[in-house]
Amino acid sequence: MTTRLLTLIIKEFKAIWKDPRSRMIVTIMPIIQLIVFANAVTMEVKNIDMLVLDNSRSYYSRELISHFANSPWFNSVAVVDTPEQLKQSIDIQKASLALEIPPDFAVSIKNKTGASVQLITDGRQTNSASIIGSYATQIIQSYAKELSGSEPRLEIVTRNWFNVNLDYKYYSLVSLMAMLSMVIVLLLTSLSIAREKEVGTFDQLIVSPLSSTEILIGKAVPAQLLAWLLTMVMLAISVHFFDFPLVGSLAVFLAADFVALLALVGVGLFISSLCRTQQQAILGVFTFQMPAVLLSGFISPIDNMPVILQYLTYLNPLRFFLVIAKGVLLKNMDMYHVLINLIPLALIAVLTLSIAGWTFKSKLE
Amino acid sequence: MDTVVINNITKKFEHTTAIDDLTLTIPTGQMTGIVGADAAGKTTLLRIIIGLLCADSGTVTTLGYDPARQKKELIAQIGYMPQKFGLYEDLSVRENLEFYADLKSVDKNFDELLDFTGLRPFQKRLAGNLSGGMKQKVGLACALLGDPKFLVLDEPSVGVDPISRRDLMRLVRATIKEDTTVIWSTAYLDEANSFDNTVVIDKGKVIFHGPPETLAATSADFEREVIRLMGGYEEKESQIAAHYIYRESTVEYPVEALNLLKMYGNFAAVKNNTFHIRKGEIFGLLGPNGAGKSTSFKMMCGLARPTDGTAKIMGVDIRKNPTLARSYLGYMAQKFSLYGNMSVRENLEFFAGIYGIPLAKIKERVGSIASYFGLTVYFDQLSEKLPLGIKQRLSLACALIHNPPILFLDEATSGVDVVTRKEFWCHLRALAKKGVTILITTHFMDEAEYCDNISLFYQGETIAVGTPAALKAQAAAATMEEAFITLINRKDAESGRL
Amino acid sequence: MRILWAFIKKEFLQIFRDPSSILIAFILPTLLSLIYMYGINVDSVNINLGLKLDDANPRVVSLARSFSNNQYIRTKVYDDKDAMYSDIVNSKLQGAVIVPNDFTVTLNNGRTAQILVITDGSETNTANYVQSYASGVIYQWLETTGYSKQQVSLIDPQLRIWYNEKLDSHYFILPGSLAVTLSLVGILLTALVVAREWERGTMEALLSTRLSRLHFVAGKYFSYYILGICSLLFNVFLCIAVFDLPFRGSYIILFLVGSLFLLTCMGIGLLVSTIFKNQFLACQISLVMGFLPALLLSGLMFPISSMPAFFRYLTAVLPQRYFVSFIESEFLAGTISDIVLINTVYLSCLCLVLLFLVYKNTLVRLEK
Repeated sequence: MTTRLLTLIIKEFKAIWKDPRSRMIVTIMPIIQLIVFANAVTMEVKNIDMLVLDNSRSYYSRELISHFANSPWFNSVAVVDTPEQLKQSIDIQKASLALEIPPDFAVSIKNKTGASVQLITDGRQTNSASIIGSYATQIIQSYAKELSGSEPRLEIVTRNWFNVNLDYKYYSLVSLMAMLSMVIVLLLTSLSIAREKEVGTFDQLIVSPLSSTEILIGKAVPAQLLAWLLTMVMLAISVHFFDFPLVGSLAVFLAADFVALLALVGVGLFISSLCRTQQQAILGVFTFQMPAVLLSGFISPIDNMPVILQYLTYLNPLRFFLVIAKGVLLKNMDMYHVLINLIPLALIAVLTLSIAGWTFKSKLE
Repeated sequence: MDTVVINNITKKFEHTTAIDDLTLTIPTGQMTGIVGADAAGKTTLLRIIIGLLCADSGTVTTLGYDPARQKKELIAQIGYMPQKFGLYEDLSVRENLEFYADLKSVDKNFDELLDFTGLRPFQKRLAGNLSGGMKQKVGLACALLGDPKFLVLDEPSVGVDPISRRDLMRLVRATIKEDTTVIWSTAYLDEANSFDNTVVIDKGKVIFHGPPETLAATSADFEREVIRLMGGYEEKESQIAAHYIYRESTVEYPVEALNLLKMYGNFAAVKNNTFHIRKGEIFGLLGPNGAGKSTSFKMMCGLARPTDGTAKIMGVDIRKNPTLARSYLGYMAQKFSLYGNMSVRENLEFFAGIYGIPLAKIKERVGSIASYFGLTVYFDQLSEKLPLGIKQRLSLACALIHNPPILFLDEATSGVDVVTRKEFWCHLRALAKKGVTILITTHFMDEAEYCDNISLFYQGETIAVGTPAALKAQAAAATMEEAFITLINRKDAESGRL
Repeated sequence: MRILWAFIKKEFLQIFRDPSSILIAFILPTLLSLIYMYGINVDSVNINLGLKLDDANPRVVSLARSFSNNQYIRTKVYDDKDAMYSDIVNSKLQGAVIVPNDFTVTLNNGRTAQILVITDGSETNTANYVQSYASGVIYQWLETTGYSKQQVSLIDPQLRIWYNEKLDSHYFILPGSLAVTLSLVGILLTALVVAREWERGTMEALLSTRLSRLHFVAGKYFSYYILGICSLLFNVFLCIAVFDLPFRGSYIILFLVGSLFLLTCMGIGLLVSTIFKNQFLACQISLVMGFLPALLLSGLMFPISSMPAFFRYLTAVLPQRYFVSFIESEFLAGTISDIVLINTVYLSCLCLVLLFLVYKNTLVRLEK
């Protein structure tokens, strides 16, 4: 039994590793994707281009504008002369923020009667629009405080735990590690059986003394181990090149990763045993993967979803794994809470693996 | 005037020379057979003739055109049937015909063609759901559309039983006009005698060209002559069998089928199939395509679950204790299912491992089996890069790596050249002598002669069992092929009477 | 013409008989639209906020009430600081507010009082919401108390959000997500089709007929374009009729630019397929080119302008990027000629280059 299984596992490793294409798919590609996406994916808004329609043309208005120009979020501040120009520039997305200063701005400030200014943002990118709006409001308020000269009566001291500067990268790195290793493990497991079916070697395996459980284990182990290794490499890259703070226990993280991958291996094997061709397997992977990413809490928090969808996410291994990954890596979450998320993950793994085993056996007949 | 004139063409692919300085003329109005094993260069030659490939050097003239430059003009006058028939599996027979009729811009009146090929009842069926023999007929019908002057058929009879093969030949003969030229390529040497002109190709060279009867009068003689032209074959003692260690057992019938039944819905693919194979016997399963012989074969090795009945291997029910039963089996499938991107050594090591040879002994076992099989020189080559004959040998080595008392072979000789086949059978016979029980399916009628016993399958039932001699006597036929055809026709007549 | 027509008819028969084309063109987009509509929400976030009030003054109690009255905030009051901290670590709270015991005293004395807001930075985006919700509530509370009398702001910024007054992010995510789903139809399905002709041996049969390279390319483009445009219309119908999104643009322009985008995606798919002649590879490449980049780099979820320069340029080769920009504008702002024009120009360039490459790489023989 051990020899048989071991031989199969070694063969599966070779099958993945010897083909330069699949070697690339499990090594270089996820790493490139990690680097590209980690750099590109951010919900922060930077490099904002803004417009000013200054009807006041006073010392105060120029001061206000220079506050904007000096802030780190803004890339350029352009001046327009008419409201039409302003509208046109916003329309064609040349600028995503416009500030309109009324003619009586300076007078109102001098008289301390209070002036109002218009801020216009581009709602086509709703998310950025509200963030830009709040940046602009902050800048204006801080200028107003400067003008009034009075010490603020109330100071809000903010502490961002685990991520002092709220660097989006940490968040996206954790999520990307999970998503990319998911793609790999799904591809490897779902395609391997379908490929053997297409080439004709599958019958050869069935006719051998290997039991169906052994075949499944043989298919699962290499994918599982490679994806696990890949997560470690990605984590190392994150720590090394992206200054990812690793505060929790590496062992706990890797253990949770192992369980999560096991659950995904089950999904992959299930797809694989249903499909006769690689094409069907790929479509199966797609159909699982897209909702799994969208409903993992990565793009939008799960608490915000309608209740039905929240229940649906209980079936998503990615959901539980993301909580553990962020908890352990960034926050040093305690064991009790790790377990609260790890146990459902393990249950999903048991579920997917047994469904895979069952379909595989019943499809053999 | 000759339809095709070829002068000194050579065609090389990345690693191999497919066509090696070949010169050939194909006369108009005749049926020319191109005979050769897989990878002998047949397909490449046909593709060069119609302009799908270009030769590296030499000249080709087809119907007066240069296929390399005037493909468009040439193609309009050619009916071509590629190896996989070029059918769209998700289109029905009629849709396939209409599609090709449109592409050739010819009339869409297929009535005659459909009647003639007997496809009329199936015209609404998807091509993917047709049996192999039928697909061939549809492919042929598509190639025949528009009465081409020149019909090029690439292995139209591959994997097909003798009856369908005769049908196909009759069909082509009957449809073509007097001045139509036909090229028909085949791997079956026994077809060579049915052509007006036969070209035998080996390793990219023409080794015989002329009317077949100028070489030999019968197909058996023809085969002998071809072997001579290929450099001769000398039967040697099989090293493989010499090193095979037979483990004595008390089981009288190592392979037994008891009342096997396989239903697909209401359709019985195999009915009431019973046979017992003695120790050291070579038992052949024969029958037309779709007769149920591969289903029976699959049930015997546990790839399909019988609806009823039992399959026993060394007395062990294969459904009840598959792991034990399968450990007695050596299995070799028609596609030589090896792992293409692994080397010879790795393939052997893999099969040694999954058949339970202890890790410590694998290296030694693989080394010795490679030397008996003459595979040591190829040891570190990728198996997909091996010549077909070597692949077959490797496949047999993998099947025998654990010294199984039983060997199952599913069309294990299809596509290999005649010399390699002879050699292969020499090993099988020697193995059987040492006590190995062999179950084999084949389409080659000459191979059937080597079997100790044959079971002839038709419409899911065994219609005759016995030694080749007994079957021939039963059918009063001189050759196995005739016996095959006679027995099946007789069965048809009987069921017609009922 | 008869040849081309027969070829297109054949493609359609194959499309109809292949369940996967229906799955990718209609079922998967519906599923994804539902998820985008109901599962994704980036405008507002519900947060659990811990409160620790060390000052027992009734005014502070009213601050606590202001927090719990906010529709997005669920509060929990803690006495034990450590318990609250551990709930942040364990993701039970997304943030916390601590009011020190001298808070009202300091305010009464006219000095600057401090209030501490803690966020869970591991949920970076949520942390931003915690910050802004908390400061919003605190300042509002301050105005209702007597402390802020002298604090009337000299400048009052009035924020207006054009094109999406309700600030509903679905208004841009759903149309934008069409870029992701349509590129699936365009890239994945077409990536399979040419490879399939090679693998099943039908390419050889086609090459031996009068079907020309032009017929082949035109036939493939046309048939899958029709499928894609049906999928586009179906998805637009979903957005407008079922999800009730505002549409302020022109259907004709949407149709035209949508067609251009589809043709560009199909160009990618067909090119991959023609070059590799292998379904497995074609799938893998379209997988890499398809979903994740379309979702992450197209500007749909994450603003392109915030990316580092190198990655900003990298997105220039993604057709999804132009389509996202176009379709959001077309839905929310109506037809703006400059936006339509610039995206059309880029898409056309990509489309033509791809078309040229597909044509060049389509073989007339079995080898080059």
